Formats: sequence, structure tokens, C-alpha cells
Amino acid sequence: MLSDFELRTNIIKVIFSMVAILILGRIIGLQTNKANRDFQEYWEYVSSGYEEEITPARGLIYDRYGTPLATNLTVYEVNVNLEKSNFVGNAETIASVLSRILDIPYDEVFRKTNVSVKETGFTRKIITSFIDQERIDQLALTYDEYENLNGTKKNPAPTLYGVEWTPFLIRQYPEEELASNVIGSVSKYGDARRGVEQQYDELLSGVPSKSLQTGLPNVIHDDDWPKGSSLVLTIDREIQRTVEDILDFHVDETGSLSGVVIVSDPETGDVLAMATTSRYDRLPDNDPRIEFVNPAIESLYEPGSVSKVLTMAAALDAGLVTPDTPFLDTGIVEVGGVTVYNWDRVGHGQVTMTGCMELSLNVCLASVARDLGVTTFYEYLDAFGIGHRSGIDLEGERIYPLAIPGEGNLAAHSFGQAMNLAPIQMVTAISAVANDGVMMAPRIVRSIISNGRQYDLPPKVISKPITAETAHTLTEMLTVSLQGESSNIEVDGYRLAGKTGTAQIAPYKGHPEYDILPYRTDATNASFVGWGPADDPKFLVYVWLEEPQTSPWGSVVAAPVFSDVVNELVVLMDIPPDAIRLQIANQ
Amino acid sequence: MKREFWRHFDFLLFGSVAFLCVFGVLMIRSAIAGNIVLAGLVQRQIIYDLIGLVIIIGLSMIDYHYWASISHIMYIFMFLFLGAVFVLGAVTFGSVRWIETGLFNIQPSEFAKIVIILVLANYFHTHQDQKHDLRWIATSLLLTFGLVAWILLQPNLSTSIVIFVLWFALIWLSGLPMKFLWWFGAAGVLTPFAAFPFLEEYQQQRVITFLFPDPNARHGNTYNVDQALVTIGSGGWFGQGYGHSTQVQLRYLKVRHTDFIFSAMSAEFGFVGTVLILALIGFVIYRCFRTARMASDLYGALIAYGVGVLMFFQAAVNVGVNLNLIPVTGLTLPFISYGGSSLLSLSLGLGLVESVAARHKVLEF
Repeated sequence: MLSDFELRTNIIKVIFSMVAILILGRIIGLQTNKANRDFQEYWEYVSSGYEEEITPARGLIYDRYGTPLATNLTVYEVNVNLEKSNFVGNAETIASVLSRILDIPYDEVFRKTNVSVKETGFTRKIITSFIDQERIDQLALTYDEYENLNGTKKNPAPTLYGVEWTPFLIRQYPEEELASNVIGSVSKYGDARRGVEQQYDELLSGVPSKSLQTGLPNVIHDDDWPKGSSLVLTIDREIQRTVEDILDFHVDETGSLSGVVIVSDPETGDVLAMATTSRYDRLPDNDPRIEFVNPAIESLYEPGSVSKVLTMAAALDAGLVTPDTPFLDTGIVEVGGVTVYNWDRVGHGQVTMTGCMELSLNVCLASVARDLGVTTFYEYLDAFGIGHRSGIDLEGERIYPLAIPGEGNLAAHSFGQAMNLAPIQMVTAISAVANDGVMMAPRIVRSIISNGRQYDLPPKVISKPITAETAHTLTEMLTVSLQGESSNIEVDGYRLAGKTGTAQIAPYKGHPEYDILPYRTDATNASFVGWGPADDPKFLVYVWLEEPQTSPWGSVVAAPVFSDVVNELVVLMDIPPDAIRLQIANQ
Repeated sequence: MKREFWRHFDFLLFGSVAFLCVFGVLMIRSAIAGNIVLAGLVQRQIIYDLIGLVIIIGLSMIDYHYWASISHIMYIFMFLFLGAVFVLGAVTFGSVRWIETGLFNIQPSEFAKIVIILVLANYFHTHQDQKHDLRWIATSLLLTFGLVAWILLQPNLSTSIVIFVLWFALIWLSGLPMKFLWWFGAAGVLTPFAAFPFLEEYQQQRVITFLFPDPNARHGNTYNVDQALVTIGSGGWFGQGYGHSTQVQLRYLKVRHTDFIFSAMSAEFGFVGTVLILALIGFVIYRCFRTARMASDLYGALIAYGVGVLMFFQAAVNVGVNLNLIPVTGLTLPFISYGGSSLLSLSLGLGLVESVAARHKVLEF
């Protein structure tokens, strides 16, 4: 029995030994097999993964009440995976289907598809791009139809195998050209151009995140997809559209080269509308190289008489004059070696300061500036930010530094000539008069929406160039003078302060005799600045018409623009007439 | 007595096991390096190892004949214990296998392996003079099936197979007449086909994946095995060095501290290191068989053989899975894979073997 037991144990031992040898052989096989090494390299390649940059969806842009002004649209790129398509040899099918659905020539698709990977060195060939959802849906449907065809081994069914489409986002502007000068644009290749788009490009784009994509089934790619921040503008879509329409009408009516209207809230510096005649519809196919300007912040011009507001503000604030200070206008004065005449070359006799503004007397304002003295006058201009950037949060603001303070330019500067500035800089300076002497920084973006939170940006004070008292006095003066100066202002029920401006235009700067040429006689820049209601200003409107043809005078061509804008503005901003407002206030 | 005892205590066996335990801890440490969730496992394995070694020494001091006297009680207790799994068991990895105690989880089916060795050894020992007829076979089969039924229900196919293998090994050694061998052979061939429809879906899937691997499958079913093969292949003759296998350290290899620790080991220690460790496991099995040959009675011999077969079968299946020689099952590599229950049950087994060794046939005075 023992021998039987031994025999049986030996059999077990033999079996175990055979298993052990099998295992050993397998281990040697695996560890010396070159194919296995290659397989490992392949696996390491697959599983080591590749970094994919995830571009966040660009943030949206809203107007101040949340109406979207810039959104994103999903479009597709259609390409052919040559590794797959060649395998089946279905270039003809792909070419015929794609040319039908995507409207591209059959030959073009066939040429791109009917190549081997070896020839091109690429596995993917882009057929076309910027295909909308509708056509992609159609393509997907056709693709499935082909997939469901039953073929035989000998006679395989035609297939679209290898056709692939990948979505991406492009910018879309639902309001088309509205405020395009403010918003700017994004090319279809993702480059932000001008305006808010460029100024806030980093915020809107968000931070692209790297994500490790591997072939591993056990690794979950749950990266948080980053999103670009969205922006809420100070622009009021309704006001912007209305103002653009009014501007277009008047530019057309007056035969002006161009025009700018800025509507701002002097209390906060919020730009409610910034209308220019240079707008464009940003279709995806637009030439991305388009040069596009926003004259409101980058066209430098000599504003003319609207600048008298600043001169008078300085004189009042320095205590040099009061609204009733008398002035004997002889029609001519010499300041710093420069002879100054009135616009009408006439002496108006005994007038008050209010009268000087009403009649827009250059002689009077030049005398006032002379009496203020060079130092004081330029201190005030500096405090008003003349020659400095307004700091508006838009790409492309330009400045022209003020000439070195001196007697020579004093007279011209007192009535807004020989100084170059962009409309937004004048708006910023004069808004101090409309806001109790406090100059607010103009702004386009009021809130940033980031990661689901809205961050409201606080309004910023730039400086306090004049006292509140001066501001009130000047506003009252300009309210009175406006009624006399321009009969073209017809806004019933509201007291408004304002000043017209008609400026001569310096010769073209590139002209070889620029320095000695006189101002042009054939054209003017017509401007107007006004704000209201006079007792509690809610809006400031700045108008500039470039080289109007029907009349050179600001009071004739620019004032009606202001008038039309304000008539709409009081409705859109829901500002009751003065009488009703006072009645409510007195209750 | 004391001196006598230690003279026959198999130090080589004990030392080999202790070495395997130490190596296992090192390998687990490398396999889970950098994984914070699993970081505590190394310490726990050390504790299990220490408990295991104490069990081996403790059991070796108890005369194994003692277990024969409480064989019936052990069997009933195990039967109830397995039943309790259904009442108290927690569902893990799709099957009910564990009982959660306050300290650690107990996997009763692991201990069933040892109990079945003791019970069957006792049965065959006490019935060795009986005619080895169908009744003799059927009774032993019924005894086995009493425990396996519960384990099959969990469902835990691999442990069930282990126990049937143990039964077959023991009945074979106890003198299974050759004529029945053909019957068993036929049953052994037919059972897989008959049983296949009754398997859980994931089990069927594993078998199908093994037999007919899908060449296009990149992930999922074949992933773990593919990774294991790559990992083993990456080891070469001398390995990439401890803690330096990209496959292991970059965690491409999954369940690398338990089922696939062999692959991790191959990658880091290469062919030479792997074969040395397998040889050591082989040596432990050899010592078990040697003990069996020298045992003073059939009871002791069967216990020692049973434990040796258990060790061999577990090791061979685990390595076979790693080498893609057989479908994926969840058997551990003895004394190296992480896991308390499996380690403690094997310690119990080797403690019994030591007990047999200490009381072997007295050849010298």
C-alpha cells in the first residue's frame, strides 16, 4: 500500500513539475519575445497619452441689461481620416456625398481623399471648415444611412468610413453691426480685434487648460472645463441703437464725412452709447485683416468752442469771474502776440460772462484765459485731463500731448483750437461739470461674470478739477446761454445745459508745408456737448460731425443731433419732465 | 519534549515562508507606491504576516491529531460560518464573500480550504481500510459539496474549484481505484461545458475573452491581462530594478498589489528574480510533500499533501492568469499577494504541516 501511495505522490509530482516547466517556458517566452517588447512600446505610447489643450468657450458680452451682444456659435471642420478611408477605398463615395451636402466641387474632395497616408505623411486631411450645424446633421444622417447598407464580402457596400467632423466655436454677434466699434470682433481663427474683445481678450478667452488624454480605460478625464469670463457692458442696447440711427440720419443729412455721438452717465462714467458711423457687420467670412477704427476714442481733432466750458470753469473756480461779470467786447484782442477775433469778426459791446458763452466770443474767453495766467489756466486744463488718456477700458485710445504751456498757445487753447483730443477725452473732462465737479473715469465694462459669479466693478473717480459750487454755477450759466445760443434745441419740459462748437481744421499733417499753412477754410468740425436735466444731470451727450457740408456751424448741424438724442433719451431712461420731477420731489 | 520538538521543527520551511512574507511586503510597497488611498496596506500586511508566522509556530506546537477529534464540530462550524456570509456578508466586487468585523474583513471561504483538508484527511484516514467503492467516494464528495455549495452560491467559483481540486488530490492519494479515474476524467472534461451556462455573466465573459480574444478590444476585458503581459515582458532577464518599473509605478498595471503582483515582480526583478521566488515557493511545496512522506500516519500525510497541493494550485493559477495561460480568476500568490484572509489560512495550513513534521515517523532516538 505504501508503494501505491508513493506511486500516487510521484504522479502528482510529475504533473506539478510539468506545470512548472510550462510556466517557466511561458515566462522565458514572454521576457525574451521581441514582439512582446514591441507590444509594450505600443502600449506605453497609447497609455502615456498626449496633452490636449482645451480652449475654453469664449466669454459672452452683454449690454447693461443682459441682452447678449456677442455669443458663440458651434461650427464644424470636416476632414477625412486617410488611414480609414484608404482602407476601404471609398474616395468616390466620400467625394460625391460631401460635394452634394457641403457644396464643394467633387474633384476637390476626390483629390484630397484619394491619396494614401504614405504620399502625404498626414493621416488627416481637412476637407472644409466652418460648416453649420444643419449641414452637419444632414451629413451625420447620410453617414448612418451608408453604415446600415448591407454588402457582401465580394461586393462591399459603399461607405463614408473615414469622414470625421469636429466642432469648434466661432464668435457670433446677434445684434450684427450694433456697437461694433465698441465691441470689436474676433476673427474666425480666434484673434480678438479692437474694442472690448481685444481689451478684455485674456478675461474672455479664459485660461486654456492642458488635459492628459490617455488610452487608459481606468483613467477618468474629468478635468474641469474652464470657461472664459463674460462681460456686462455699460452700453444700453436700446440707447445705442437709437443713437446710431439718429447719427446715421444726421450724417447723411448734413453730408458729413463721419460722426460720433457719446452718451454717458456723468455720475458713474458709464458710457451708455458710443455711436460712430464706422461700423461693420462681422460675418465669420469677413476678412480678418480689416482695419477698423473707433473715432470716439482714437480720432484726434480740435474740438473748438465746446472747450470754452473748461476755460469758463477754470475762471469761475479761480474766482476770477462770476456769471454776471461784465466784459466789453471790442471784437479783437491780442494775447501772447496772437491776435484773436470773434467767429463773426464783430464786436458785441458790453456783455456778461453768460453772454460770452451764449455768443461764444473768442475775444472774451481769450481775455479771461490771459487774466487767469498761464500757470493757473494750464493747471486747470491738466486737472481736466486734457492731453491725457481718459483711461476708458477700450483698446486703441489715442492722445496728443498738450503743447508746452506758454503765452503763444494760450489764446487758441482758451477756445479749443491748437489742441488735439479724442471725443471721449472731452466727454470725460466736461462730465465733471455735470457731476458736481467730480470727474469720473469713463468705462465700458460694468461687471465681470467669472465662474458663475458676477463681480461689479466700482465707478472710479479720476479727480475733482473744480468745486461743486463752480459746477452748479457753470451748468446754470450754460443752461441760460444755450437757450439764446442755439434755437435748434427743442426738448420740451427739460432744462438742459450745453455748448456748441465749430472748429477750424488744421491742414493735413502729412503736408510738407504743414507748419506754415493756415487752417483750412473749406471745412469745419461741428461739435456739441450738453447735459441734463440741469438741476440733476443724468446724461451727458457729446456730438461731433466731421466736415458737415450743409452748414459749417455746430449750432446748426450738431445741435439738432443733440436735440434728437435727448428727446429719445428721456423716454428710454425714463426721466420725467422737470415740472413733474420737482412736483414729486416736493411732495 | 521541548528540545525534541524544536529538533523536528522544519526551520527551512518556516524560513522560506518568512522570506516570502518579507519579499511580499517589499513588493506590495513598490506596487502601491504613491497611492495615498492604499498607503496603509503595507503596514497591515506586515501585521498579517506577523500574525501568520505566530500561527505557524503556535499550530506546530499542537498535536495535529487533536483536530481529528473535533473534525465534526469544525465541519459544522464552517458550514454555519459560510451560511452566515449570506446574512451578514457585505457585497464586494459583485459577490458576497466577506464578513465585516470591527477590525478587519474575514473571508470565510479561505478558511474553508483548510477545514476541508482536515475533514477529508480525517475521513480518508478513518476509512482507509474500508472498500474504496462508490459509497466511499460519494460520502467524501458529499462532505466536500456541503461546504462548496455555499461558496458556489456566493458566487466564488475559483475557491470552489480549489476545494474540488483538494478533494480530488486527497482521494487520489487515498487510493482512488484506477477504474474511477476515467469516470472522473470524463466528468472533469464535461463539467465545464455543462456548467458554463450557469456561470455569472462576468465569469462567462472572462472565459470567452480568454479563449477568443478580440483583437480590436483596446480596453476593458483584456486590459488587465494585456497590461500584465506587457509588464512581465518589460522585465527582461534582470528586471528594471526595485521601484523602477514604469508599468508598475505609473499604475498601468491594475490590481498590482494582489492578483497581478506577479507581473509587478517580473517587471522589477526580471526573469532571474521571478524564477528565484517561484523556486522558493516550489521549495515550500517540496517541504510539504517531504513532510507528507515522512508523516507517521495517513492523516498527517494527507494534511501535508493537501496543504502542498493548495499552495501549488494557488501559485500555479495565479501565475497562469498573469501569463494569460488561463482565464482571469481571483486567486492570490501565496504569501506575496496582499490579503489577510488568504495569508492567514495558508499560515494555518503550514502550521499544520509543521505540526506533522514535528511528529513525524521516529527514525532516530
